Amino acid sequence: MARFLIKRILLMILSLFVIAFLTFSLMHAVPGGPFTAERQLPARVEAEMRARYNLDAPLYVQFFDYIKGFLTFDLGPSFKYPGKTVNDFIENGFPVSAKLGGITILFILAVSIPLGIWAALKNGKWQDGFVMTIATLGVTIPSFVIATLLMYLFSHKLGWLPVFSLDKWQGYILPVVSLGGYSLAFIARLMRSSLLEVMGQDYIRTARSKGLSEVKVIVRHGLRNALIPVITILGPTIAALLTGSFVIEKIFAIPGMGVYFVDSVGQRDYTAIMGITVFYATFLIVMTFIVDIFYTIIDPRIRMEA
Amino acid sequence: MATWDKVTVQAADRERIYAKNRTFFGDVVFRFTRKFTAVFGLVLIVLLLLFAFVGPFISPYSYTTQSLEFANIPPRLELIPAEGSYFYITTSLKVIEVTPEGTLLRSLQKTGEDGINRTMSFAVDDETDLVLAYREKPPAFLVDGKPLEAERRTVWNQSFRLGSDALGRDLLTRLMYGSRISLIVAFVATLVNMTIGILYGGISGYIGGTADQVMMRIVDIISTIPLTLYVILIMVVLKSGFLSIIIALSSVYWVNMARVVRGQIYTLKHNEFVLAARTIGSSNGTILFRHLLPNAMGPILVTATMMIPSAIFLEAFLGYIGLGVAPPMSSLGTMSNDAIGALRMTPYQLFAPSLVICLIMFAFNFVGDGLRDALDPKLKK
Repeated sequence: MARFLIKRILLMILSLFVIAFLTFSLMHAVPGGPFTAERQLPARVEAEMRARYNLDAPLYVQFFDYIKGFLTFDLGPSFKYPGKTVNDFIENGFPVSAKLGGITILFILAVSIPLGIWAALKNGKWQDGFVMTIATLGVTIPSFVIATLLMYLFSHKLGWLPVFSLDKWQGYILPVVSLGGYSLAFIARLMRSSLLEVMGQDYIRTARSKGLSEVKVIVRHGLRNALIPVITILGPTIAALLTGSFVIEKIFAIPGMGVYFVDSVGQRDYTAIMGITVFYATFLIVMTFIVDIFYTIIDPRIRMEA
Repeated sequence: MATWDKVTVQAADRERIYAKNRTFFGDVVFRFTRKFTAVFGLVLIVLLLLFAFVGPFISPYSYTTQSLEFANIPPRLELIPAEGSYFYITTSLKVIEVTPEGTLLRSLQKTGEDGINRTMSFAVDDETDLVLAYREKPPAFLVDGKPLEAERRTVWNQSFRLGSDALGRDLLTRLMYGSRISLIVAFVATLVNMTIGILYGGISGYIGGTADQVMMRIVDIISTIPLTLYVILIMVVLKSGFLSIIIALSSVYWVNMARVVRGQIYTLKHNEFVLAARTIGSSNGTILFRHLLPNAMGPILVTATMMIPSAIFLEAFLGYIGLGVAPPMSSLGTMSNDAIGALRMTPYQLFAPSLVICLIMFAFNFVGDGLRDALDPKLKK
């Protein structure tokens, strides 16, 4: 166990270092400095600016300063918005994204797991076909298509739901559905196939033959084992949803992390791009790590070798 | 007459195989064609390819042909008869003369506007003027101060089958070019990813040992990186354009393929035929490329087919956040992006590219599923 943990933590640190390095080198490979504008700045002003943003130091020094900042949760100032730091962006954007993501996760779990169970129990009947059709639709239709179609239908055509407002609970419906559509369909499919597989196992027959009621067989022996693959996929899903989907946030004008990211891409605000990428990646990696640990705890069949 | 005759059996008959002898390939085709969704997907792909690659030659327009007077015309027109001709009133209150069949003729010249009474006048010819009242919806023509009572007729737009965009470009033609770009991007990116993945995974699996360990740890690290972010970062560094998208997509998506190939090669290399090949003195390259890889082709093909929809999706996504191909070129993503701003006024501009994206995704997913079941019956549930 300890060996496994140490190995995983080392791999995690290495991944984070690689991510920081890649982002840093990509951002410094961009032709032209951040202050290259149509109007030529006076040489002294430019030198002053470069010194202020630590751009006059050699690259490796800049990199280590960046890593140092990263370790102390200081992601540096924004290039495009004077007086703002990348930390400000994350502090402003992350809670909004996290709230939307949290609601979406609850929605996904509440809908997809029952759907998957239902489909598995009615395997081969029309209910199964119905759920699988919806799941296939959800997996194949891109989220921005779902989002815009829903928006057009429910906000513009029918006028039932507001387009841009998170003040009222109705405002959450469309973003949550379009953000969660893919994961919902995916988890429902996974739940179905996993439960089908489990229900064919010998221990289910044993449970039935000792006279347990069908409900008890499904809940106590079937579901518990069938949920394991779902939990595995939940880690990356939660991380992705909490940090927000760029497109959904852009469509519904939600001021979350995604909007800041897309904005800084459009503005070529390099420190912001770098900072948000590293933050997002860290979050994703740590989340996957936690789920992996959790996974090995709940499933004793998995030995912690790797 | 004996009821029970002894059946004489020829030795040769015993050895005969009555079932039709099918090759592996024949078997795959058989299993593939059994599945309705797979065949349907394949037909859809062929139709999409025809649409994207042959369509532009048939279309009378190019993707850059603009006719600004016919901007934002929907595919379905409601015509109002007046002065012996038919007219269509656009959402931005322009009057367009249309033939009864639906071919756009010209945009009428505006001659005056009365802002108080909310009317506009348009010149039909040198003498006659049409007066348009727009106080109430829908706007109507005025004849002697009264709204013109005339039977409206709804026809399909014959000039622009799917309507025109904000610059008066034919949406159908742009959709063809857009699908072409998206499909080319997806195919090329998949091909590059496949090549890198096969080489990397093949070498890693074949050599084994420490080299394999190191190469696979590298893959582990890359796969923890959120790839979408990296594609975006690479797109920021490179100038946005066709080539950059391919480079961005190909530099990150090979990881999955490498894993699949490595796993296959790793299990296959312990087979006797590898030993046999080695005994007769085949080089490592021959063993890897002539003996091992062909045996691993099934999973490789399935992974590649599944890669195409994700490449299409990613390309559309990049176009959607404004990092797609440079205008005036269109791709499915940039077309959706252009349409989102005026969704309320011109929803048809979004529906067309969205539909094509969905169709491509469906088609390749279906074919991928079918291929997986056909190539590897073990995976079938």
